[in-house]
Amino acid sequence: MKQLDIPEWLTDNDNYIPKADKDTFINKSILSVFKVISRIKMQDFSQSQSFVHVSLKVFFTFVLLLLLSITRSFVFVIIVNVYLLSVLSLINAESLVKILKMSLGVTLFTAIIMLPAILWGNYYSCVMITSKIFATVTSIGILSHTTRWNDITSALRRFRIPGIFILILDITIKYMYLLGNLTLNMLYALKLRSVGKNKNKYTSMAGIAGSIFLQSKEMAEDMYHAMECRGFTGEYPIYNKSKFKWVDYLYIIMNIGFIILFFYFAKI
Amino acid sequence: MHIPDNYLSPTTCAVMGAAMVPAWTISIKKVKEELPKAKIPLLGVGAAFSFLLMMFNVPLPGGTTGHAVGGTLLAILLGPFAACISVTVALFIQALLFGDGGIVAFGANCFNMAFVLPFLGYYIYKLIKDNVRSAKGEYLGIVLGSYIGINVAALCAAIEFGVQPLLFADSAGLPLYCPYSLGVSIPAMTIPHLLVAGIVEALFTVAIIAYVKKVSPGTIYEGAKQKTKAIYGLLAALICLTPLGLLATGTAWGEWGTDEIHEVVSGEKALGYLPKGMKEGFSFEAIMPDYAVNGLSDIAGYILSAIAGVAILVILFKVISTFKKDKVGN
Repeated sequence: MKQLDIPEWLTDNDNYIPKADKDTFINKSILSVFKVISRIKMQDFSQSQSFVHVSLKVFFTFVLLLLLSITRSFVFVIIVNVYLLSVLSLINAESLVKILKMSLGVTLFTAIIMLPAILWGNYYSCVMITSKIFATVTSIGILSHTTRWNDITSALRRFRIPGIFILILDITIKYMYLLGNLTLNMLYALKLRSVGKNKNKYTSMAGIAGSIFLQSKEMAEDMYHAMECRGFTGEYPIYNKSKFKWVDYLYIIMNIGFIILFFYFAKI
Repeated sequence: MHIPDNYLSPTTCAVMGAAMVPAWTISIKKVKEELPKAKIPLLGVGAAFSFLLMMFNVPLPGGTTGHAVGGTLLAILLGPFAACISVTVALFIQALLFGDGGIVAFGANCFNMAFVLPFLGYYIYKLIKDNVRSAKGEYLGIVLGSYIGINVAALCAAIEFGVQPLLFADSAGLPLYCPYSLGVSIPAMTIPHLLVAGIVEALFTVAIIAYVKKVSPGTIYEGAKQKTKAIYGLLAALICLTPLGLLATGTAWGEWGTDEIHEVVSGEKALGYLPKGMKEGFSFEAIMPDYAVNGLSDIAGYILSAIAGVAILVILFKVISTFKKDKVGN
């Protein structure tokens, strides 16, 4: 009987150690796409109903931003900041940390930018701008983290923003998720296949973005046909006729209070 | 380049927003004309694409990474009008839902990134592409278009920042919003963009367009021919704008004698200066020495970047003119 020989190359110990290659940029891209996707995905799990009427929330957030931007009274800014912090304290811890991370990050950045101006003697206005920035970013964070995004887009309808714009906005958010998943999968594939040194990684990056563009064009056409088949005519009515509750009236009164405070401090 | 709220005065934001209204209206009209089929979903999906494009990190020398804006890329792929709308929607979502860029400053951000960037980038690309009928010419167009596009957008943002202390000061003469004058804001904004972000943008744009052309030629937006003349007007306006900015800083920090301050200010009361603080003029004198020390370098820095800007434009025109000669020779 003939003995089965194991080929020599099979018995050799193979000590392949892949050469280290820099791929931080892939990791970073994966991370930033992932962040966006998870933010959108979170919408499904967030509390179904916002505490106050969403239209009111969006409207008064805009008003507050405008007042903050116009005001010259530091006391008013401090009052708004205290109010926002107290609202923050009512939010669940997970969202709270995310909102604070964002607003503190932006505030810190502003503070660093304003540092040279402080040395020039613009102490007052720099502190003012920094605290204003904190207030605006926090209030946007609160709005975006405590409200479902499709509620925000439909609330915009009440401000006479054209339906087409809201439709585009809705499509954008949905496709950010779809295309984001696609991007993630391609980035994973690139990372998995880049064993050792891979000089083509940079061109692959462009390939991923290019593929997403082509894919998005196809998706857009498919979607248009699907919409047309279902009788889409370009009109985009929104049926949302919820009524105000007592909390909403309280919210209105509170915000009118802010407007009064704004004018009160403007006069001093 | 996302300007947060409170860096710019609400009036500036309102003016920029008002400037964007016709741009948006025309864009929507044009998109409807040019893309009768599949028009609406394409805009939404395009916006999603442009949003994701900003998530792509590109390696930079020195181990760090940066991301591209992709305004010119979108304009070349989808057409400048669709790009305008897509970037606007992407910016809106960033501002409202991700807290990146201000709500009040939304108009200003749109002006820089959804209007100046895609339109200028696209028309530079188109001008060079139509004049140089070769693959090289087209890629040159892409590189210059995306590079100049993002840099001019950054310059616009810098000018918006820089005019704040000139126009809006409190009764003590201290700036209410962004405290840095043009002399500081322009180099601060343009130098990183000229050296880093612009190069990233150009590389990214070229690589993606090369890929799309290879994989699926014919998907790239084809604009109408006669429109390219608009670029001459646009460039001329920009050249006019550059010395204008210089003039503004000159009168602001360089040429005002202490006796002149009263006159200049009383003429500009409407711009937000309170007369009381101006009559005293005390705090102005308190700051002036500081500026006098830094002033020279401030103005020098501004002039330097202005010269660089003009020089780049001149170089651009010269490059274009040599290509024209080549074409005749062929």
